[in-house]
Amino acid sequence: MRYQVVIAGFGGQGSVFLVKILALCAGNKDVACLGTENHGMSQRGGAVSCTIKLGNYTNPVIDANQADLLIGLEKNEALRNVQFLKPTGTLAVNAESDFPSSDINATVFQVDAFDKAKKKELPIQGLNVYMLGVVVSKCEDFPFTEEDVKQALRDFNPKVAEQNIEVLEKAIADTKA
Amino acid sequence: MKQTLMGNDAIAWGIIHSDIDMVSGYPGTPSSEILGNVNKLKHQMNLDLYAEWGTNEKVGFEVAYAGAVAGRRAAATMKQVGLNVASDALMSAAYIGNLGAFVLIVADDPGFHSSQTEQDSRVFAKFAKIPVLDPATPQDAYDFVKIAADISETFQTPTMLRPVMRVCHARQIVDIDEETNFKPGKGEFKREIGRWAAVPRAGRIIQGYEQIERINALKEYNWENLIKPEFDKCKGGKLLILTSGTGDGFARETLEDIGIEADVVKFKMPYPLPENQIREQFKNYEKVLVVEEPMPCIEEQILTEKVHGKLDGTMHVIDEMQKVYIQNALIKIGVYTGADLYPVVPFKEEIAARPPNLCPGCPHRDIYYAITKVFRKKKSIYPSDIGCYTLAINQGAIDTVLCMGASVSMASGFSIADPDKYVVATIGDSTFFHGGIPPLVNAVYQKHKFMLVVLDNSVVAMTGRQLPPQRENKEIDIMKIAEGCGADVYEHIYSNDIQHSLDFFKDMKKVYDEADGPIVVVVREFCVLDKEVVDDHIPLEFAEVVPEDCTACDQCTTIYKCPPMAYNADGKVEIDPFLCIGCGACLSVVCPTDAFVQDTSRGIIREENK
Ligand code: SF4
Ligand code: SF4
Repeated sequence: MRYQVVIAGFGGQGSVFLVKILALCAGNKDVACLGTENHGMSQRGGAVSCTIKLGNYTNPVIDANQADLLIGLEKNEALRNVQFLKPTGTLAVNAESDFPSSDINATVFQVDAFDKAKKKELPIQGLNVYMLGVVVSKCEDFPFTEEDVKQALRDFNPKVAEQNIEVLEKAIADTKA
Repeated sequence: MKQTLMGNDAIAWGIIHSDIDMVSGYPGTPSSEILGNVNKLKHQMNLDLYAEWGTNEKVGFEVAYAGAVAGRRAAATMKQVGLNVASDALMSAAYIGNLGAFVLIVADDPGFHSSQTEQDSRVFAKFAKIPVLDPATPQDAYDFVKIAADISETFQTPTMLRPVMRVCHARQIVDIDEETNFKPGKGEFKREIGRWAAVPRAGRIIQGYEQIERINALKEYNWENLIKPEFDKCKGGKLLILTSGTGDGFARETLEDIGIEADVVKFKMPYPLPENQIREQFKNYEKVLVVEEPMPCIEEQILTEKVHGKLDGTMHVIDEMQKVYIQNALIKIGVYTGADLYPVVPFKEEIAARPPNLCPGCPHRDIYYAITKVFRKKKSIYPSDIGCYTLAINQGAIDTVLCMGASVSMASGFSIADPDKYVVATIGDSTFFHGGIPPLVNAVYQKHKFMLVVLDNSVVAMTGRQLPPQRENKEIDIMKIAEGCGADVYEHIYSNDIQHSLDFFKDMKKVYDEADGPIVVVVREFCVLDKEVVDDHIPLEFAEVVPEDCTACDQCTTIYKCPPMAYNADGKVEIDPFLCIGCGACLSVVCPTDAFVQDTSRGIIREENK
């Protein structure tokens, strides 16, 4: 298997957390993986993009036109990183309905998770997991199942796993509806 | 045993599985988690080892190095610019050598992700004439710590491990030893004045010759053990690619992407290279391309007419590696003629940049706000230093940043060069300990008139919240240190009432006007990411803006600049409820029309998934 993922957001949104979860998913299925994350500015509101390459790769960075999946935790950070997606790739983005999906040369799944958080349908710190749920439910070539992700969430931190799993399930239910 | 590890975790495991039992250094991204992880493992497994931060890299280096002089296995950790600070010690240690093992771990940052410079520590190793190992992945990083420790002990030389950011912060499933049989050593210093006391000249010239012999022996070792087995696997042909570190992974993937066969040789130890044996191999190839970052370290050692790389402009010469650079190099030397596989098509409209900013609720913001209000920009110079507070550059509250501790010495210089201005320097607590004290002594000694504000949040916030000296041992007191240096010292206890800070600095301005030497102000703060203390400081007073009262005067968005503040579609400022942490600081003072009010509908938000 070979699958390349870029996760884009800004400091405090938890992009790094998603990389850790995907790495755990890979570890549990004995799939090789190589990922990278930006530290330093990541807590302070600056742009944060992380990558994870699943399968037999030798460097953790993703070049333009290479990624299979881009998870955009925020609209502008998604747009800033679209160049990494290949035309057959998928973008899962948290953005309002005016997101310029038609200008993007890839399959786009757009949800307004901020709005859901404002309406208190999900906790704001669960935004990242919510977007992962969108990916699990919508993205056909995504290599991990709902159960794989849940297992990784439990492995990462059993204390908050239930909360995260709830958010994941909500995302899946919302997008299937 | 297989584990998903970040490079810095893998290095920590490598340290423990090499029986290294003394670790010291100074935090700096991307190296910071190494020592912290060693400490974590120490406590988890109840190991008998020393792993503590030094006050700066030179101190950290010397503490660990002394361990190796006394026969123990030791390591020092730092980032590449930290090595500049420790370079004085390194240069001498490289002559003198060590008895046990001394592994110098220096994390490089090609691409300037969190550094002032892009220097290549492999070149520094070459300058100091010590061997350097260059891991490509977290797995390599784990394995190479062990090789480095063994080389260091066998050849009695400090040995460098140089991971780059994409190794330190890469994540991979790493195969590490099944069991931990940690065997700490016992040091025994053996007096040998001629060796350990580096005075000129007789002893040194002998050590200088020994150093050259050592390097020649290491070249042989490198060839026999590390390089020859790689060349033995090669087939010869049109193209040979020589790499080390991450360059290797980039090169192999590029070749695969574009479907070209070539021999790739990874130098685990890119210095010292057995240049003659390597050049001998070139006859089997038409062209040789060197893929390395960030500087031409390998290339300079093995250069011939066949070799292409940075020196002849085939490869990029600055910034981080990308596969597209290798593809383009292969086009330039006529090996690849196909399509561009990595075309960059950015989104058609320009996207607003997102400059890193001080965190919402960070006390530094208020202090800078007060400083610039009281000591007007036109009449002042603001030298600053390295740390989170450097982000106040967005507030226009910082004029210069050079290196650790330079705020103080540059304040001295500005006070001499432009005496009609107020010079207000800022420095963090950890940076003050690191490099701020000697220049303060100098300033008192020579009566340089400026104000030094020590922003004491008692945490090394920028690099992951390591604990600084005064937090671990309350006996250490920044005010007493500054007093001991002979400066006039004042204390300001931060509160979220901005008027309180404004009044304080107004008083300080009067003191400044009367002073005839440096004044030091110690501001007692906290960091909003410091879980131990933050609840005592953040009152959960969230802000909102009354739209009718906002006159779009820009005060909050240009001078105060808390991240949640931004204009909405109606041209009024709005507070992003997801970013505001409820520090309440902006509720008074900041808005001239009092449009900021408390948003009482907000509950408590805690951030978990980080
Ligand atoms: S990490 Fe701490 S010190 Fe740094 S900007 Fe944030 S609150 Fe301020
Ligand atoms: S209360 Fe004001 S200063 Fe504090 S975090 Fe919110 S917007 Fe920023």
